[in-house]
Amino acid sequence: MENNYMSTWKKNSIRIGTPTNLLAAFTAFIPVIYLCTAYDCWPDPSIVLSAWGLTALSFGAFYIVEPVSYYASLGMSGTYLSFLSGNIGNMRVPCAALALDVTKSEAGTIQAEVVSTMAICGSIITNLIATTSAALVGSAVVAVLPAFINKGLQTYASAAIFGATFGNFALKKPKLAVFGLGIPLICKLFIPIPAWLVIVCSVFGTVGIARLFYTAEAKKAGK
Amino acid sequence: MDYLAISNLPIFWLLAGITVVVSAVQTILYVRQANKATKECHLDPQLPKQAFKIGLISAIGPACGVFIVMVGLMSAIGGPIAWLRLSIIGAAATELSAATMGATAAGVELGGEGYTLSVLAVSWFAMALNGAGWLVFTGVATPGLEKLRDKMSGGDMGWLAVMSAACSIGIFGYLNANSMVKAGSLAVGPTIAILSGALSMMAIGRFVVPKHPKLAEYSLGIAMIVGIACAILYESIAA
Repeated sequence: MENNYMSTWKKNSIRIGTPTNLLAAFTAFIPVIYLCTAYDCWPDPSIVLSAWGLTALSFGAFYIVEPVSYYASLGMSGTYLSFLSGNIGNMRVPCAALALDVTKSEAGTIQAEVVSTMAICGSIITNLIATTSAALVGSAVVAVLPAFINKGLQTYASAAIFGATFGNFALKKPKLAVFGLGIPLICKLFIPIPAWLVIVCSVFGTVGIARLFYTAEAKKAGK
Repeated sequence: MDYLAISNLPIFWLLAGITVVVSAVQTILYVRQANKATKECHLDPQLPKQAFKIGLISAIGPACGVFIVMVGLMSAIGGPIAWLRLSIIGAAATELSAATMGATAAGVELGGEGYTLSVLAVSWFAMALNGAGWLVFTGVATPGLEKLRDKMSGGDMGWLAVMSAACSIGIFGYLNANSMVKAGSLAVGPTIAILSGALSMMAIGRFVVPKHPKLAEYSLGIAMIVGIACAILYESIAA
């Protein structure tokens, strides 16, 4: 039953995800198109193109590397949801991973798909409330909060979440965690390669080492 | 009227809202799909509710960070576009870079002298074009990613579970290393936030959750607060 349903699940996920993500890519242009039309301030296309070129140079590789690297943790619907709603590393994956952990769901099962999808949806609602309330009362709230809280949240919230999520995985796979942190640290400290390449080395390096451990253990169990 | 006053006009809230609504609608559709799957596969009906609650609660911590960052971004690119960008794919640093690159391409500084309406338009275009990169790639290529995962796992469910964990460890290893090393040397504050966040998460998982399973849902939030508190403590001692 479960396996049969998986193909239905995937088909439905694509049916929802593809049009909504493409639609959002388009609707995000509406404000700027209105701005240019209403105020007759269309910029020179060559300037827009060179701005696009600059962003593509800095971020272009991430358009591909990030979805590929995050896919195994997010699943299909999770990928559509996360890349539309953003805040993937600091919010979507940690929430999905924690929910899979608490409900003891195995990767690749329909239960895991349901659980990670719902956890990501829950986190999106929280994020929409946060951004919308920031829009409404943000400046007033920031003015009232003590400076150290503002600074702490702004500077350290992401780092603490990254560490906590990593710690949760490290509990389960301590040997892999050593490589998972070691590879990118060595890259960042000693090898001058672009950031996207560090992600590739880190993710595929860790998966490669996991494969070595996995086959070694399988061999041992076989004997 | 200066560019910031124009970019904060009510009409732009309305137009930015269209994209925010698309994201909200997608979320609702997936919630419906997950509930339907729960029923048809006879999963525990509490499961989706519990997972939703965990997402809702665990996101509060990082969402507070987004809240503060957005207030900063609003003063640079205007409220409506900050709201649009941070409600969808954008991260504040990426958006700020894209907006700055727009200004750079036009030969001026973001918000500086010569930052006219048409330069503002370049910044807004740069952010929309950049964000579209991820949206179009995932919109088109996600089914292909599923095939890639299937190929890499070779149908071995045991290996699929290990591989998924290894991918996450690799990604978070990178995110940690990226925060720990700034300009070739170790940044102490973020490193303390990461280590204390990791250690407290491990301590909660090992010692607290077995006795009080309900606390597992709050572990991420607690670990985040500990991580931030330790980093701030270090800063005030070092200062």
